[in-house]
Amino acid sequence: MTRHRYNLLFSAFAYSAVAFCGALLIFLFGVIIWKGISAISFDFLFSPSRNFGAEGGIVYQILGSILLVLTSALISFPIALGTALFKSEYLTNHRWQKVSNILIYGLNGVPSVIFGVFGLIFFVNILGTGISWFVGAIILAIMILPTIILSAYQSINSIPTIYREGAQALGFTKWQVIKKVLLPQGINGAITGLLIGMARAIGETAPIMFIATAFSGVDVPSSLLEPVAALPTHILALAQQATNPNALQNAWGASFVLILLVMTFSISALFIRIRRQTISQR
Amino acid sequence: MSASTNKIGKGYVVGSTLLSAFIVLLILVVLIANSWSAVSANGWSLLSFKWNPPTQQFGILTMLYGTILVTSIALFLAIPLGIFTAFFTSEILPSKYRILVKSMLELLAGIPSIIYGLIGVAFLSIWVQNVFDLQTGRTFLTAGVLLAIMILPTVITLTDDALQNVPDKYREAALGLGLYKYEVVKYALLPIAKRNIVGAILLAFGRAMGETMAVMLVIGSLDKIPQPFYNVLSSGQTITSKLGREISESSFGSVHFSAMIFMGLLLLSIVMILTIVAQRNFKTEDRLYD
Repeated sequence: MTRHRYNLLFSAFAYSAVAFCGALLIFLFGVIIWKGISAISFDFLFSPSRNFGAEGGIVYQILGSILLVLTSALISFPIALGTALFKSEYLTNHRWQKVSNILIYGLNGVPSVIFGVFGLIFFVNILGTGISWFVGAIILAIMILPTIILSAYQSINSIPTIYREGAQALGFTKWQVIKKVLLPQGINGAITGLLIGMARAIGETAPIMFIATAFSGVDVPSSLLEPVAALPTHILALAQQATNPNALQNAWGASFVLILLVMTFSISALFIRIRRQTISQR
Repeated sequence: MSASTNKIGKGYVVGSTLLSAFIVLLILVVLIANSWSAVSANGWSLLSFKWNPPTQQFGILTMLYGTILVTSIALFLAIPLGIFTAFFTSEILPSKYRILVKSMLELLAGIPSIIYGLIGVAFLSIWVQNVFDLQTGRTFLTAGVLLAIMILPTVITLTDDALQNVPDKYREAALGLGLYKYEVVKYALLPIAKRNIVGAILLAFGRAMGETMAVMLVIGSLDKIPQPFYNVLSSGQTITSKLGREISESSFGSVHFSAMIFMGLLLLSIVMILTIVAQRNFKTEDRLYD
């Protein structure tokens, strides 16, 4: 009897927890979509912001965010791919594997604001770049490095050894094995990681707010050392003037656009992953 | 020809690895070097409760306490909620809906923290203000609840993975003995999945401590220990909100700046240790239950 009651109690807890989480999910997306859709319009998307963001649109913020995240992807991807290849194909020592894991997971765990602080000290002050969008892209590239490395490493490392041995038996050099055998199969994992990383990078505020962005009077930067406008920092600035209903409405509009951008990246990542799974099942 | 491309290829691979490792070390070295002047100028007085830049007092304990308080509130709310939801998604929900649940969780985890901050400012802080009849809704509680919502997807998805990793034969054997569902969970699944669930909690702990934007917007940014110390309905300050608010006001090279970096380094050390310990928990080297 008591066992039965415990079981009922357990089910009740589980069901109410999930009901609560479901309600939360509906609330969050409901708010973002409802408030967002009523805030955006053609004008909002394609005109520059005026009056400290309370009026006008967010065209330069959208362009700035896309510029930041594409540049960071271009910087990060080759480095991450090389590191993943090294970790998978050249690093045979067990102890160094452990060291590399600690470094990668450590970097992955660094709070995003610390990247901002690091960029502020090293680039803005020590190297004297000043507030620059390119520095922001470098910092975002560092931030997404572990995501890409891990994803690429897992997919390259999971290729059966027999492929490598077969290629080597044909007289391939190590690099030819990598280029002709491992990369064609492993590149999907690296691209998945890249897209996941970009989805994270485009939404980040803390790493870029001290070092890369300016709030008003910025359009498309014409050199590497100019500030840029970005969606997350724009939302931050608007959220701080939340008593002004116009500013708040524009903040919701910018949030909605930001979410759409994030989802574009993460859904593409999902598609690539699903496609890879169906291929490997054949 | 192929020998030289082989060399170039190896050079590229080794070079990018060295660059990655160099970046990690550079971050540590830069932070340590720049926090040094605060340590040498203030010594043990860094570990006090007084933060007052004009009088060169830089005690970081108020912020550390704020971080711990906010994180504790978040974990206190998110862990039971997350674990029970994971029991549901893993053990009660038919497995054909799992992909749906997983993608929902991924969507939630993908919401940028600044948007949580906006929701906190526009809704949560106003609710807290009205419900508890406060002067301001920007309190430890608001930040803690918001953080709980933010780490919930992490807790759910990792706990769900941990439970799913337990092979079905354990469930079947336990059910065959006539156990109820909660007994299956308690006696068969939890003992095996425990390590990974602890890992999930540590990872969520680290995330919560390092979260900046949402906390910064709703904590109130007041450098004070609440009175009494457990009063979660007062405004406060965490390490991350302090960094976010004040680092651009302090000039590079000053003791003030250096004290901020020291605080960041402390946060980084705690979060890194949590992350690395958590990662150890996820290793399934013991193939006991294969």
